[in-house]
Amino acid sequence: MTDDLIARLSTDLQPVPPRALERRLCLALAIGLVATLLVGPLVLDLLVGRPFGGAWGSSMFWGKLAYTIGLGGLGLVAVPALSRPDRRLVWPLLAAGALVLLALGAGTMGWMQADWAMPVLMGGTALVCPWLIILTAAPLLGMLLGTMRRFAPASPTLAGLAAGLLAGGFGAAAYAFYCGETSMMFMAVWYSLGIALTALIGAIIGRVMLRW
Amino acid sequence: MVKSDPIEERLRSLMLASLEGDGAAYRALLSDLGRHLRPYFARRLSAAHASHAEDLVQETLLAVHSRRMTYDRTRPFTAWLHAIAHHKFVDHVRRHAIRPTVQLDDDAPVFASDDSAHAADRRDVEAVLGTVPDRTADLIRQTRIEGASIAEAAARHGMTETAAKVSIHRGLKSLMARFAGGEK
Repeated sequence: MTDDLIARLSTDLQPVPPRALERRLCLALAIGLVATLLVGPLVLDLLVGRPFGGAWGSSMFWGKLAYTIGLGGLGLVAVPALSRPDRRLVWPLLAAGALVLLALGAGTMGWMQADWAMPVLMGGTALVCPWLIILTAAPLLGMLLGTMRRFAPASPTLAGLAAGLLAGGFGAAAYAFYCGETSMMFMAVWYSLGIALTALIGAIIGRVMLRW
Repeated sequence: MVKSDPIEERLRSLMLASLEGDGAAYRALLSDLGRHLRPYFARRLSAAHASHAEDLVQETLLAVHSRRMTYDRTRPFTAWLHAIAHHKFVDHVRRHAIRPTVQLDDDAPVFASDDSAHAADRRDVEAVLGTVPDRTADLIRQTRIEGASIAEAAARHGMTETAAKVSIHRGLKSLMARFAGGEK
């Protein structure tokens, strides 16, 4: 019976190009990023009423971009390794946690200098910010998880978490173009929360969907 | 360390050829893996669950097939295979609520033992037993290899226990005379 199986598997064998896993991930990333970038003009601008470039010209706009792309980049480093059965790369996830703590520390300093003024923490959009980041990241996360179903992660939960961090970081970067907040503390709390929730969703879905 | 291992060398080159689409190399690879995986899983299952070993071999071969793109060509093949076999074992044990009987420190890798050596031993035994009369050979096989009692073996051949004992004794004596350089 096992011999039948071997015979069946070895006929019509399709060649696998080198770095096939990375290629598929890149393709999923490209398509997902386009979809996530489209959420901006289609949903955030038209439905939510956020014009493009709300924080344009503020130095904090670049800070938000660097922070979110940094977190997404750490997810990007972790995803290919965590998609394989024989690798377990957790330093990017730990580094992401450290980066969040750093931002929270710096944000607290800024808040202190502003004499703990409530608007510095809450801005005008604090309660919708995390949800809109999740919404913006959702197409990218879906694309990534769909592609990763064909991989063999040693830990489906960790692989989903890394995919969520990647999607959350880049999704938040796309969201930053439509966000008018200019305080460090706002970013450190609400952007981080949005990205962390996206990562958590990725971990929960990955735990079920990436099993093999 | 792993790189210089002859099994690693052989399987890795088969895997690389398979990834290029070489069906013959792939067939050789899978049947080689089957031979290594069977004792690997059997060792980890209690006798009551021994029948799961073959399922596990098949599940692992299927996973090797469908997940072969996750093999990184620059890394050791045996480590990748071991990770897949381990994953499949844990998954299977969980799904079927089996209690694994393996000691925690038994971390012998997949390639620690090979079915074919046992197969060769079995062939030798059969060849040796072929030199005594059939009924005697069967009695010896049942009592000395398969672990039946003399009474059971005698009953199966419709003979008395004493006659079976005598037959086994004579058979072993003649084998010893032939292969062990006479009775010691």
